[in-house]
Order: sequence, then C-alpha cells, then structure tokens
Amino acid sequence: MKLLIIEDEESLRRSILQYLTAEGNICDIATSFDEGIEKISLYDYDCILLDLGLPDGEGLELLRHLKKLKKSDGVLIISARDSIDQRIEGLSLGADDYLVKPFHLSELYARITAIVRRRSFNGNDQVVFNEIEIDTTAKEVKINGILINLTKKEFDILLYFVTNKSKVVSKSAAAVHIWGEDADMADSFDFIYTHIKNIRKKLTDAGCKDYFQSVYGVGYKFQ
Amino acid sequence: MKLLARYNRILILVSIVGLLCIGLLFYGNLSFYLNKQIDNNLIEELMEVQDFAHARNIAPAPEQYQDLVITYKRANHFDTTKKFADTIFYNPKKHIVEPARYLKTGISINGLHYQVSIFTSKVEREEQIKSIFISIISPVLLLVFVLLLINRFMIRKLWHPFRLTLENFKTFNLDQDKPFEIIDSPVHEFRELNQAILDISLRIRSDFREVKLFTENASHEMMTPLAIINSKLDTMLQSDRLGKEESETLADLYKATSRLTKLNQSLLLLVKIDNNLINNQEDIDISALIVERLFYFQELVQNRNLSVITTLNPVTLKTNGHLMEILLNNLLSNAIRHNYERGNIEINLSTDGITIKNTGGVQPLDEDRIFERFYKDGSSEGTGLGLSILKQICSRQHYGLKYTYTKNLHCFHISFQSS
Repeated sequence: MKLLIIEDEESLRRSILQYLTAEGNICDIATSFDEGIEKISLYDYDCILLDLGLPDGEGLELLRHLKKLKKSDGVLIISARDSIDQRIEGLSLGADDYLVKPFHLSELYARITAIVRRRSFNGNDQVVFNEIEIDTTAKEVKINGILINLTKKEFDILLYFVTNKSKVVSKSAAAVHIWGEDADMADSFDFIYTHIKNIRKKLTDAGCKDYFQSVYGVGYKFQ
Repeated sequence: MKLLARYNRILILVSIVGLLCIGLLFYGNLSFYLNKQIDNNLIEELMEVQDFAHARNIAPAPEQYQDLVITYKRANHFDTTKKFADTIFYNPKKHIVEPARYLKTGISINGLHYQVSIFTSKVEREEQIKSIFISIISPVLLLVFVLLLINRFMIRKLWHPFRLTLENFKTFNLDQDKPFEIIDSPVHEFRELNQAILDISLRIRSDFREVKLFTENASHEMMTPLAIINSKLDTMLQSDRLGKEESETLADLYKATSRLTKLNQSLLLLVKIDNNLINNQEDIDISALIVERLFYFQELVQNRNLSVITTLNPVTLKTNGHLMEILLNNLLSNAIRHNYERGNIEINLSTDGITIKNTGGVQPLDEDRIFERFYKDGSSEGTGLGLSILKQICSRQHYGLKYTYTKNLHCFHISFQSS
C-alpha cells in the first residue's frame, strides 16, 4: 500500500512510520499543512492519515482540497478531539474513518487496511493467510475451504490479528478493538485470553495450524 | 416571619402604646381644665352665698338650678379653708346618685358657724369630655387603621421587584445558557441588588466555564502524549529482544496507560454532558437497547457465571441514544464488575423506570457519596467517574436516580419521571 502520514507530532509520526513500513508499505510523510497539500496534489495514495490538529492549518481544509482535486484517496482522520460534530463533518467531507487519539498502532493499521479493502474496486474482500480464508463482507471464515463458526467478537479478533500478522498485538489493543471505550473493565484483559483460547480451539479443530503465539502475558503474535 | 408581618406587629404595638399614652394625657389634661372651670364656678357660687349671708345674715334659699346643691351644717369651729374634691352624691333634686364636684368651707351667719358645701353635678361635663375625647380619638384610630392598610398594600407593591428578583435567583442555573434576568425597578436599592446579583452570576458563570474549559483542554492536551506513549509501547512490543521481565513491565504500562486514557475520556464525557453537547433526542426502544447491551456484555457475564434475570416491558422513550447507551453500559458493567462468581443480576424495565439489582459486596455503599466524582471504595479499579457520569446523564435527562441496598442486593433505580 502507498500511504501518506500527515502528522506534526514528530515522535508519534516516527512510530507510525516504523510500524507501517515494516509491513512492506510505502509511506510518505508530511509534517505540516502546506506539505500535506503539496503531497496530495502531486501523488496518489491508497490511504492518507490525516491529523486534524495541524499547527499551520485546519486539517479539514485538506479534505476539501482533496475533494476539489477529485481524488479518490482513502482518508483516515486522526484527532485528539472526540467531537461528534467534527467527526460528522470529517466523514461528510469524504473521510473514510475517524480514529481518536490515543490509539494502538495495530488498531491504526487495521483501520487503514479496512479502508483500502473497502475502496478497492475488484471486490477484494477476501483476506487470506495460508489455509485461513476470511470473507470480510459476509463475515465468514473458512479453513481449507470449510466454513467454521465464530462469534462476532471472535471474528473481529481473528481479522485483527491476521491483519497485524507477524506483529505482537497487546492485549490492551485487542481489548480496545473489541470493547471500545469500555476496555477498562477489570477483567477485559483476561477476557482476551479466553477469546483467543476459543478461537485457537475452533481453528485447530478445523485442521488449522496454531498461529497464535503468546508473548509473556502482554500480548499475542499471529505468525 | 415575613417582613410585612414583622413590620405590622411593630407598627400596631407602637400605635397602641402611643394611643394609650396620648389618650391618658389628653384625658388628664382635659379633666384638669374642666375641673378648674368647675372650681371657678364653685368659688363664684360661694362668693354669692357669702355676699348673701353677709348682707342678710341668713343662708340663701336653695337654688332652682338642678345641678347645683348647697347644704349648710352647723360647725363647732370656724374654718375658712376651701376644700375642693370629687365625689359621688345623692342629688335630692334629681333623685339620683351622680358624680359631682364640691367645695366645702366655713361661713358665719349671725355669729354662728356653718359649714357650707356646694355640690355641682359633673355628669354634663363628663359627657362633654367623653364626646370631645371620642371625636378626637376615633379619627386617630381610623387613621392608624388606614395607615396599616396602606402599608400592607404599599409594602407588597414596593417589595414586588424584590420577590421577582428572588424568584429569578432561585431559578438561575449555572448549566443553562440563560443568564440571570434583571428585574427593572425604579427603587435604587433593588436596582443595586439586581446589578450585584447579575455581576456575581456572570462572574460565577465565567469561572465555571473556565473550569470546564480547563478540564476539556487539559484532557485534550493529554491525548497526544498518551498517543505517543501508546505508540512507543506498541513499537517496543515488536522488539525481538523482549524478555519475560520487560514484557511484564510493558503489560503494566499498557494497563496504566489505558486507565489514564479512560479517565481522560470520562472527564471529557462529563464536560460534554455538562455542556449539553450530546442532546439530540430521538425515540429509543429501551428494552431492545438493554437486550443489545446484554449481548455486548454476554462473554463477561458468562465468564463469571453470572445469572441474569430480565423482566423487560416494552418501553420507548424520547431521549438521547448515545447517553442512554452509556447509562446502560455503566449500570451493567458495574453490576458485572462488582459481582462475585455465580452471582445474580436482576434487570427490570417498566414505563416507570429501570431497576438493576446485583449481588456483590456485603456492605451497602455510601449512598450519599457514591455519585461524587472520584469516589471509590477500596476494591474498585475503575476511574471513580462511572457513577458521576450516570448521575449527570440522569440529571440532564431529568430522570431520578436512587441507590438502595436491600436483602444483600445492590439496587440502582432510574425513574423516567423526574422525582
């Protein structure tokens, strides 16, 4: 994927860049509003990560500019402000998704791939990892072509891990992905463990290799 | 005591005492002068008697005049001192007993000593005093009465702006955008009072806004550093050299960061509810929402082997869906979190309200304090804001919220009709 990161916060930008390039993506960066305008005018991207709180301009203006250029790049807004109005305005201006800071890099990546997947015109809603075949539209999982039965949350977790394959995903990130704002539930972290145990069992029962690797109680790696 | 009642009481007391004093003084004065006049008449009468006796050496014949009686009595010694006094005597001419004034003194007729007493009736005089007294006192009484009446009316009218001011002050609400309404009055003091209240309300309001703005900004400003911490943790997690110890440290850091994030989000949510930013109303099927939320929490419920008993009557409310969802999330997550293994949760929904009962700690919670911000009992790992958010939502939606503890069940009741 070809991505553009428009973010003025240097250390955050570096982390995002590091995480995304490691996945084999090509990433451009823009540190300011003007640089952002320049980059989106010159190149086409699969997805643009847009921070709304830029020092030299209103991030939403970039969206308007993009619209004026009649470009169809996917846009993911990153904002420190969880304002309903801003969210609605951003989405109505053509942004595909809205992610509120703070977020986990695995969540960011999951959102980006979801956007790119949705926007691809060749009906590419299949995510394949070896013998695992995930239909993101029908929300179905097939192992060696045989359908297995997962609950909605189990499906979400599996897709999340497959998307972030060969990365360590923290339990915290997985919990936020599933529970959203209620991720602070005292036992939600342990609960991820139960979920993953169930998914593992369902996958291996269907003859799938066990790809989940536990990382010292802090998270899991799908590999 | 009301101002008017207090004022009237003092006024009436002063009037009565004043009237009594004035009446007594007036009566005494009048009597004194009338007595003096009577005494002069008596002396005149005596002089006539003396003249008569001196000229003819006999006592004069009894007077024809009914109110004047003169008696003579032999006396042993001659005493010419004049003695005036009031008495009640039998008037032989009128055949009645009546009040009178007399003059007693000695005269000598033909060398014999007599004591002469001249009585004059005071009935007429007293009538006179009475009518003078009444004709003066009764207008005064009427005046006092009219004064009281006018006072009553005037005070009520004069204090009317004050009452309006008070009413406005009582209904003044910091949360509302409506400012304190000034009551226009020609009275300087009331204008001053209104201005003072307006000034203070504006100042409080601006302080209040500043505090809210500060909370909002502080929370927002914290989000970017939190995002950096999160992303750095995620980056560290990818390291190949991660050992057991480092991983555990990372896990703790993740937990702390997510708690901080949640705290910030809760504070922002409170500010948003406070500022009425989440306010669009729509028809919400509460029973369906409860079912949906229960489904959302089902794994947590199963994980702790909780049994949930629901009695849901179909209820549709015109309310804010987002707030209602937060409200149910808070109620349910509390009921799950503060429960024990194999505990119970009872959910009742009727048109009156929602009741959620759950087993849990054996001690009742402090019902006066649980809705305070950052109030937590020792075992709680939450932010301490969940119940304040609950309360804030209820007060915004004008719902009643009550906590009780009966039969080992913690019970939260939300009544849709504001209490």
